[in-house]
Amino acid sequence: MLITELKAKETILSALGSKVFVINCHGCKEIRFPEQEANALQKELSAAGKITGILTTDYICNPENLKLQLDGYAAQIRESDTVLVFSCGVGVQTVAQLLQDKKVCAACDTYALPGYQGVTPLEHDCGQCGQCYLNLTGGICPITACSKSLVNGQCGGAKNGMCEVDPTMQCGWERIYQRLKQLGRLDVLKCPVQLRDYATDERVNKE
Amino acid sequence: MENYTRYALKSQQELESLLQQTDDLFVLSCNKCFKAFETVEEPETEELIRLAREQGKTVTGSAAVDFLCNKTQTAKLLSGLIPENTRCILVVSCGLGVQTVAELTDLPVYAACDTLNYTGHHGMALTKKACDACAQCYLTMTGGICPIVDCSKSLVNGQCGGAKNGKCEVDGNKDCAWEKIQQRLAAQGRLSELAAQPVQVRDYSKVNHKLITEYVQAIRQSRLDGYYGGVHPTEHKEYTEHLPLVRFPEPETVVIPMAQHLGAPANPVVSVGDNVTVGQKIGEPSAFISSPVHSSVSGTVIAVEDRPHANRGTCLSVVIRSDGKNTLHESVKPQGTLEELSPEQIVSIVREAGIVGMGGAGFPTAVKLTPKTPVDTILLNGCECEPYLTADHRLMLEYADEVIFGLQAVLKATGAQKGVIVVEDNKPDAIAHLQEKTTALEGIEVCTAKTKYPQGAEKMLIKRVTGRQVPSGGLPADVGVVVCNVSTVKAISDAIQKGMPLVERVVTVTGPYIANPGNFVVKIGTDVQQLVDHCGGITGENVTVKAGGPMMGFVQNTLHTPIMKGSNGIIAVDATVSQENPCIKCGRCVDVCPMELKPLYFAKYADEGNWAGVKEQKVMDCIECRCCEYICSSKIPLVSKIKAGKAAVREMK
Repeated sequence: MLITELKAKETILSALGSKVFVINCHGCKEIRFPEQEANALQKELSAAGKITGILTTDYICNPENLKLQLDGYAAQIRESDTVLVFSCGVGVQTVAQLLQDKKVCAACDTYALPGYQGVTPLEHDCGQCGQCYLNLTGGICPITACSKSLVNGQCGGAKNGMCEVDPTMQCGWERIYQRLKQLGRLDVLKCPVQLRDYATDERVNKE
Repeated sequence: MENYTRYALKSQQELESLLQQTDDLFVLSCNKCFKAFETVEEPETEELIRLAREQGKTVTGSAAVDFLCNKTQTAKLLSGLIPENTRCILVVSCGLGVQTVAELTDLPVYAACDTLNYTGHHGMALTKKACDACAQCYLTMTGGICPIVDCSKSLVNGQCGGAKNGKCEVDGNKDCAWEKIQQRLAAQGRLSELAAQPVQVRDYSKVNHKLITEYVQAIRQSRLDGYYGGVHPTEHKEYTEHLPLVRFPEPETVVIPMAQHLGAPANPVVSVGDNVTVGQKIGEPSAFISSPVHSSVSGTVIAVEDRPHANRGTCLSVVIRSDGKNTLHESVKPQGTLEELSPEQIVSIVREAGIVGMGGAGFPTAVKLTPKTPVDTILLNGCECEPYLTADHRLMLEYADEVIFGLQAVLKATGAQKGVIVVEDNKPDAIAHLQEKTTALEGIEVCTAKTKYPQGAEKMLIKRVTGRQVPSGGLPADVGVVVCNVSTVKAISDAIQKGMPLVERVVTVTGPYIANPGNFVVKIGTDVQQLVDHCGGITGENVTVKAGGPMMGFVQNTLHTPIMKGSNGIIAVDATVSQENPCIKCGRCVDVCPMELKPLYFAKYADEGNWAGVKEQKVMDCIECRCCEYICSSKIPLVSKIKAGKAAVREMK
């Protein structure tokens, strides 16, 4: 799951030629897409007579469907010297693959939502560390709930239950302690020292 | 298709030591997302149960759940699922599912899996294309080939020099990304552009975890705001929201269908050659759930025959040639004040005036006004959550007094104490206007609802405003509420104050391919083609015309269909070309379904002809709002599969 922000206007404009074909992807719009900013910029380009056509569709990362859509705009694309894509990096690459003879430009920067795998922002996140600690922590993730991702208990810096790195955030280890206490399972904190394995083996680094 | 499952069972050794500490365990597994949707059984569950039994442990039960991380759905499911003798829950899922379960239960929850990091795959996981979401996209410079993902070293300033014969020195099976970039740019004659680029410095500080976490929470909150699910399609109301209502020119002939409502079609009571007047009844209701139909012009009946219909194919219709005089029928006269009229009289006026739900569904209003259970609240639906449409918006601005009068009539008819006019926050002018008009009125208030489709669906509206949940298969009256569209109560006002039956309505004609969009007061029976021509016709190719909004409207193959009581809009939008792909279990349909159903199963079971399965997934609860189809990453035509499923389930009875 990805979120996108518009690049700086100067950056976008400097990449463009004189005739631009625009592609907007609304596939992940329910998560984040700078729709208003993108529209404003396109209106401006359109007023300057630079736009040969605009295709607004969804999931342009789906190559079969994108191809169908692009076929309907063949003339406008041919007329353009630049194809400007408002989407995440996956979409831009899909367009570039289908229009190999065109200059394809990215209008957006793509940000990850680290940990929020899946499709929709849900309540929890997961650092995908490959060595789940949740059994020792009452189901609260120390990787994401602790600012320092500590796996062997509190750093000692919390004040009144709030994190010293970010005082608006509850101390993850305090939450873990409270949850375990509530469950009557404080004994699990006496487990051996945990070592976090940062190695990226075959399994956790599959691309 | 590759499975993108992001977790794997912990090592046997770790699981054994985990099992040693526990007994009487329940195994809860997630049916995994982002995978070919062929089977719901996951091998890990069986393996874990076998291991537990080998250790002499009691397994109190097991269950497989879709999208375990979906808190709303999982919470509903968990109640009653876990046997009482269970002492702990072992969860087979990624870290999201484990945390969700741990939050929802008081029992100790254990993770049986490690969650794996498949870097670079985001979005739909349908493709091999990867994006590392580095927040500083280089693709413009590199011809659309990503140097972060495709280069083993994520170099952003050109080759490392280690490639041999175009292959990467880190991984000999991989093409050198920078060689690919060079070739693509050379083919496009853009090498000089690359050479002119300043040195790129990669900024690793771009992603702020806290910011993202807060952002995600905000999104989640808005997704669950008021009611579960829903989507935010682009509104496109700017074409017509500012345009005052215009009376549409008198049609020469009108085609008035006998079926403009839910239930039995009316029976025509006029014959060819008869002279009719405005407001004269030309069709009698044929059952309890039916409605009379009236003439919208004065003139001569020239045909009583089947004619094209916006959503039924064809329908028996009365065709009248107007004499242009608009002579009123003798029955058209004021019916008295609300003080004088009894509730029964109001219901009778509404029934005789042929008033049906004008939001599109066309349920006879008189039936709604005589609920079997007591009603305390009337909700007036002024949400108009469908994109493009602005008919109700203009009506609330220009006929506020009539709307309020109609609401008062409904309050009196039903004996409800409270009337709430619900308007979405994208219509601030209508909200302000109605608030001004209602401040002095007791028992009537205006409620501003945050925009979210399908807010105007009555069950969502009730949940949003009153917090009450209409039971599965139930009606609004079951929770003490009646919902009416604002146009419908305006028609009630006309029926009482003028004695005029429902013979005209407000219609928005709009869309990017309509030359001069507008909002019109149109006589029932007016030809859609005339409306479109009046608005300058349709420009462009590959245009789809729909009766209604883009989400729930009906595609029109001919424009020679008449405007009906439920026709709130005629829109000309892009024809959609798409190709259905296999379901990838992305879970979006589940996330947006306002009825909290699992639409992916409707598609799967409909394709398999498994109608019992479709029924079990509660297909009859579906309101066909099309949110699932709108969001589907595989472009599966879910609504047509759901309709097929509903038809099959109806036949089973």
